[in-house]
Amino acid sequence: MANSKTVIFKIKRQQTPESKPYWEEFELQYRPGMNVTSALMDIAANPVTRQGKPTTPVTYDSNCLEEICGSCAMLINGQAKMACSALVANLKQPITLEPFSKFPIVRDLAVDRSVLFENLKGVKAWVPVDGTYDLGTGPRQSSEMQEEAYPLSNCISCCCCMEACPQFNDKTGFVGAATIAQVRLFNSHPTGKALKTERLKALMGDGGIQECGYAQNCVEICPKELPLTKSIADVGGQVMWQAVKDFFRT
Amino acid sequence: MSHPKIIVVGGGLAGLSATIKIAEMGGHVDLFSIVPVKRSHSVCAQGGINAAKNLKGEGDSTWQHFDDSIYGGDFLANQPPVKAMCEAAPSIIDLLDRMGVPFNRTPEGLLDFRRFGGTLYNRTAFAGATTGQQLLYALDEQVRRYEAEGKVTKYEAWEFLSAVIDDQRVCQGICAIDLRSMAVKTFPAEAVIIATGGVGAIFGKSTNSVVCTGSAQSALYQQGAYYANGEFIQVHPTCIPGEDKLRLMSESARGEGGRVWVPKQAGDKRDPKSIPEGERWYFLEEWYPKYGNLVPRDIATRAIHKVVYEYHLGLDGQPMVYLDLTHIDRATLDRKLEGILEIYEKFVGDDPRDTPMKIFPGVHYTMGGLWVDFEQRTNIEGLYAAGECEYQYHGANRLGANSLLSCIYAGFVSGPNAVNYARNVIKSGRTPAHHVHDSERKRQEEINAHLLKNDGAENPFLLWRELGETMTKNCTVIRYNKNIRETDAKLVELLERYRHVNLSDRSMWANTSFVFTRQLYNMLQLARVIAQGAAMRDESRGAHYKPDFPERDDANWLKTTKAYFAADADEPRFEFEQVDTSLIKPRPRRYDAAT
Amino acid sequence: MASSASSIDTSSARIKKGVAPLRAGQGYSFVLRRLHSLSGIVPIGAFLIEHFISNSEASKGVQAYNDQVKFLTSLPFVHVLEWVFIFLPLLYHGIYGLYIWYKGDSNVGEYPWSGNWLYTSQRWTGIIAFIYIAYHVIDLRFLGVHLMGGGYQNAFSKVWFDFQSPWTIAFYVIGIVAASWHFAYGVWLFAAKWGLTTGDNARRKFGYVCTALALVLIGIGLWTITGFVRTPAAQVPWVEHD
Repeated sequence: MANSKTVIFKIKRQQTPESKPYWEEFELQYRPGMNVTSALMDIAANPVTRQGKPTTPVTYDSNCLEEICGSCAMLINGQAKMACSALVANLKQPITLEPFSKFPIVRDLAVDRSVLFENLKGVKAWVPVDGTYDLGTGPRQSSEMQEEAYPLSNCISCCCCMEACPQFNDKTGFVGAATIAQVRLFNSHPTGKALKTERLKALMGDGGIQECGYAQNCVEICPKELPLTKSIADVGGQVMWQAVKDFFRT
Repeated sequence: MSHPKIIVVGGGLAGLSATIKIAEMGGHVDLFSIVPVKRSHSVCAQGGINAAKNLKGEGDSTWQHFDDSIYGGDFLANQPPVKAMCEAAPSIIDLLDRMGVPFNRTPEGLLDFRRFGGTLYNRTAFAGATTGQQLLYALDEQVRRYEAEGKVTKYEAWEFLSAVIDDQRVCQGICAIDLRSMAVKTFPAEAVIIATGGVGAIFGKSTNSVVCTGSAQSALYQQGAYYANGEFIQVHPTCIPGEDKLRLMSESARGEGGRVWVPKQAGDKRDPKSIPEGERWYFLEEWYPKYGNLVPRDIATRAIHKVVYEYHLGLDGQPMVYLDLTHIDRATLDRKLEGILEIYEKFVGDDPRDTPMKIFPGVHYTMGGLWVDFEQRTNIEGLYAAGECEYQYHGANRLGANSLLSCIYAGFVSGPNAVNYARNVIKSGRTPAHHVHDSERKRQEEINAHLLKNDGAENPFLLWRELGETMTKNCTVIRYNKNIRETDAKLVELLERYRHVNLSDRSMWANTSFVFTRQLYNMLQLARVIAQGAAMRDESRGAHYKPDFPERDDANWLKTTKAYFAADADEPRFEFEQVDTSLIKPRPRRYDAAT
Repeated sequence: MASSASSIDTSSARIKKGVAPLRAGQGYSFVLRRLHSLSGIVPIGAFLIEHFISNSEASKGVQAYNDQVKFLTSLPFVHVLEWVFIFLPLLYHGIYGLYIWYKGDSNVGEYPWSGNWLYTSQRWTGIIAFIYIAYHVIDLRFLGVHLMGGGYQNAFSKVWFDFQSPWTIAFYVIGIVAASWHFAYGVWLFAAKWGLTTGDNARRKFGYVCTALALVLIGIGLWTITGFVRTPAAQVPWVEHD
């Protein structure tokens, strides 16, 4: 019985990586301030479908619930979003929840996004410090440098930019915007620069920056509003210079 | 040279900093985490990290930092490790800076510092309003580097179930469950470091992340580890009430000039911006003229409670007060606080640059935790603890921006100590006790099998709600012995009902409700430690406040509570330990007048 | 529940493989892709502009057009020039472009944003332009009367006869619009991806420039078509030669 006080959720479920997906509908009491994660918690407390059939709580990734840990990304009404910051009041009903489509499914709404962490390894996304013993202060940096670096360092590894990217798929094996932004971050750090050449050469590998089709979905979808297209353009330039240098000097 | 193998459980700041030290010293780390380590709860820390670098010409010193921390913690912390932490702080900041943390800068390009609660100095280094995230990422990157070099093996989506403890009460590894395949496995190691964070979930809704259940600490407590000062739970004065959690509004909002107020007139329905200054009550500034809005958290929390519940001046009759930033210009707010203001905007829908925020206190930090000595050793040999899951650095109340410091520092202490211990273990020629591993795994598998076939009518998520409600009501800001005793009785009832818990999901693949139900049992057991510890401590100290015993009682209670589990009685027992106050003589803690 | 530690049902074995991680430093796709991008600007783009301008002579009448063809066909090493600077680059750009098209997955349904529409339009204008150019080159360069040598006198007529069918005209209009758009947006993409326009403002401003470029090319192309269509049959010569 739908009325203005309830919310309908249609959730795509899948028991195991091998099994067939299916849909279930839930009707929940609406409360002001309700978000998608609190709705999923309500379902866990009372796992019964709209048709009255008992079911299991929905499996999904979540942790901080304040859009900083990057866990709860999923397709909400077809688009990649963070479930914690998706307020029910702002969503068209019925609200559909699906797992990310381009990452291997674990169960229900949970997928395996470890490819991003592999990619970060591939581009050596770190500052190569000599050690953790006391070596004095870090390099001086202007406020302007900090203001350039900080937004890039806000990436929460949610992988929304990759899910929404038309070039990110099995055929391209594209590295995705998040990793490219981290290359820009570390290439601009006074010490991180030491690995700049290695990072750029890594990004010239198959699945590298060249696969970007500039659809710009990444920058639109990013929940943390990272300057992703600017980073791709900037790193694209760096990579070209590197390629030119390599071509004429080796 | 031997390569000791050390297990680190938890991938937040403490676990990662321990991991880095171990890898740097040539050890190998098996790093266990429920979530990918980059998603650990440390990312939620907002305001900053303290270090007396004295870059503002204020004459700050590590001693002053130490004194503020001890005084802020109401003299309950053992003093030598806190002093050592404060002395290490400046070099830790330098290290983080070298690792690439985008700390805010002064015009000259030096680190900028801001003021936080419980101090009169600008001592808090910060990276926007997402300092915890930035710090965690810096350590995560270094760990990834060691992972690429083969010095660290990550077990993400694995949950710690128990320690593997041999017949001599020595820890020889851990037992863990693969959160996808649900397989139970034991892992041997020469030493184990527990860095599993806080226990917020025991209170239902809190500022903590979903994984902060305290399940690991509780499991270890049930295996014989001491749990210290459990009754000390920090309630953060400024949280955004939410449906699924309480979202933190960082102390940095007040550090940058945010003012807490309510309309003087109860039920004033006017738009807050239209209420003239004269009709607003800035109660913190009035009651605590010296520290103003930057009194320590316990003080601010109780003040807000008082205004709401005694003066009945909550906004619109609701338990909320204003935290106002609208007098600060937008550019400054965006530069220094953008991250936290965005949280408010996203989750509430109002722009805090235009409208005062509505906030209320919420459970935030666990001062208590596994008992450790000055070398971060628990009472179980070979088992170390670091970070929020242990009790060492914050006494009865934690100062803002000291938690990131204590996590990293404790990681830096525990890591090398564990390596040195492990080297001795290797030298001694200890062989892994396979039968101990086998029996621990079987014990855990039996618990799982029992839970899966359990047939009852109790829903674990509803039991958890009841747990959270009773704990929040009776064991947080204001505590009465009668209510606490009722809560403990309620916990006994919940534990009994837990025996009839019914899993709606009995599958053996990525079964999150199964895992949660296991955590719930541990939460219930640890809740009793918190409740009974609070009931016993008949005084008021730091975050622990009893109106019936409003004064601090050093004669009877200047001591550490140590709970241990009496397996036969299935309940906690308590011991007490003198606090090491060898460096600063305890003095009354008052923020309302000059001290 | 696994009964022994040795027969662990590891989760990694059951979870399917997803998109491959970056093959850091491996393979040649970077060079091929950049070559594809570059070949669209030079020589193909440069030739496109030249071709549009040359063809626009049609609007001045039969003689002007045929004279322009005569000039072009009489360039030294004309066969080498057309293969090296036109046909081979076109073949590379077209075939590798099809491969790029195959690897992408348009998703404007889910993400209906302007950048994504442009991405999708680049994919489909590429396909249209490929088909159109293949037809255009085969039909006018390799089939029917040859325009090299003295054949230039029939250049105008050859096109004119083609344009007797309204379907051909429609196909040309579509092909010209697609090729112009594909080229102009390709220039914009080139600047963005090669790091020439890194700033958001720079990209926005250059977007106006490229839009203007597209419109100018479309204008010239359509004007050229009308040059043929306006010419009455009586003015169209046919010169037999051997």
